[in-house]
Amino acid sequence: MNHEEATQLMASERYLLGELAPDLREQFEEHFFECQECAFDLRAGNAFIAHTKSVLSAPVHATAVPAEHRAPTGRWLGWLRPAFAFPALAILLAVIGYQNLVSFPQLKKTVAAANSPQILASISLLSSNSRGSNLPSATVRPGEPLLLFIDVPPGSNFHSFVAQLLSSDGAPQWSLTIPAESIKDTLSIRIPPQPRPGTYTLVVRGADGSSSEVARYRFELQFQN
Amino acid sequence: MQFHAFDGPYLERLCSGDFSTEQHFVDYFSELIRLKLRSRVRSPQALEDLRQETFVRVFATLRSPARIRQPERLGAFVNSVCNNVLREHYRASARDTSVEDEDTDNLSDTSGDVLTFLTRKELDEQVHLILEDLSERDRRLLREIFLEERSKDAVCQAFGVDRDYLRVLLHRAKQSFKSLYLKSIGRKVRRTAVDQEG
Repeated sequence: MNHEEATQLMASERYLLGELAPDLREQFEEHFFECQECAFDLRAGNAFIAHTKSVLSAPVHATAVPAEHRAPTGRWLGWLRPAFAFPALAILLAVIGYQNLVSFPQLKKTVAAANSPQILASISLLSSNSRGSNLPSATVRPGEPLLLFIDVPPGSNFHSFVAQLLSSDGAPQWSLTIPAESIKDTLSIRIPPQPRPGTYTLVVRGADGSSSEVARYRFELQFQN
Repeated sequence: MQFHAFDGPYLERLCSGDFSTEQHFVDYFSELIRLKLRSRVRSPQALEDLRQETFVRVFATLRSPARIRQPERLGAFVNSVCNNVLREHYRASARDTSVEDEDTDNLSDTSGDVLTFLTRKELDEQVHLILEDLSERDRRLLREIFLEERSKDAVCQAFGVDRDYLRVLLHRAKQSFKSLYLKSIGRKVRRTAVDQEG
């Protein structure tokens, strides 16, 4: 057997698969002991088979392909693996569900309420800028705003004022800037819905560095059952 | 592809006992002898004994006055000595006929140094990539033939392919594997030369 015959016969593969008849096998053996190219081809085939057995018999983690040999997926594509994708999808669905079932209906209701005419409870604090006055009160349904009427005393030279609402424990609820020209008339301030009933204090201060108190109004807020 | 030339100077160095030439000679023909004997000899120990006996006789002849004169016949000479050793083995023990599906030894390198381990790992990874490029059917085909060692005829029939298909599959996979395998052999030869110089 010469080299050309061995190549055409695919003698290496037949030899490794045990497909050569005894006489052809001996002829090929004589040949590959002399032909380095066929010897190398046979050795490569044999090594491939040996390593194939090793790879196929190894546990999955032992034959993991190194990161540098893996097909490039890009960092962001790696997040699409099931281990990440499924929990992320579940969270996304939960957020969408909450928004559609809770947040949006509430927002719609608030917008609808804001766009509709309504009668608001009100308190006139025009004569209550005094610690000695009876405490004015108003009753509102929970979640409903309140209208306050106040007169800020004139005579101060502030360019603007800051009105701050304090809860019964003194915690600030919100602040409102009042331009100086607004205090010429009675101010009507819409108090946003408060979380709980109780005694509230509206403090008006001059909006300068000293924050001098100009007026203080106390009122009682009650909730209607 | 450049191979080591079995020429006059090579034969001279071999006959004079040059260590690196002897190492190369033994490494090169050992694998071919193992490939030849494994389908004929069941016992790994017997295979190794026959391999060593072959080299003992080859070196004895090379260093005798009746040594071979034609370097290009070196390979044929080794094969011939191996055949004689094998015949004597048959006469001395029960005959082992070559059966197509006889268990074959894993002829992978069993030496334990770091370079060998890394080379083996590298070759495993290369084979893994080659297998990944195959279809699932072809991977299963190779698994059943080489790992589970089922009858090749039965497996081909089960997969609806013929022996030609299997042969071509092996051929293509081997071709993909060859370049890295050649590098690993080159690394081993250089390592042997460095060790010898050291």
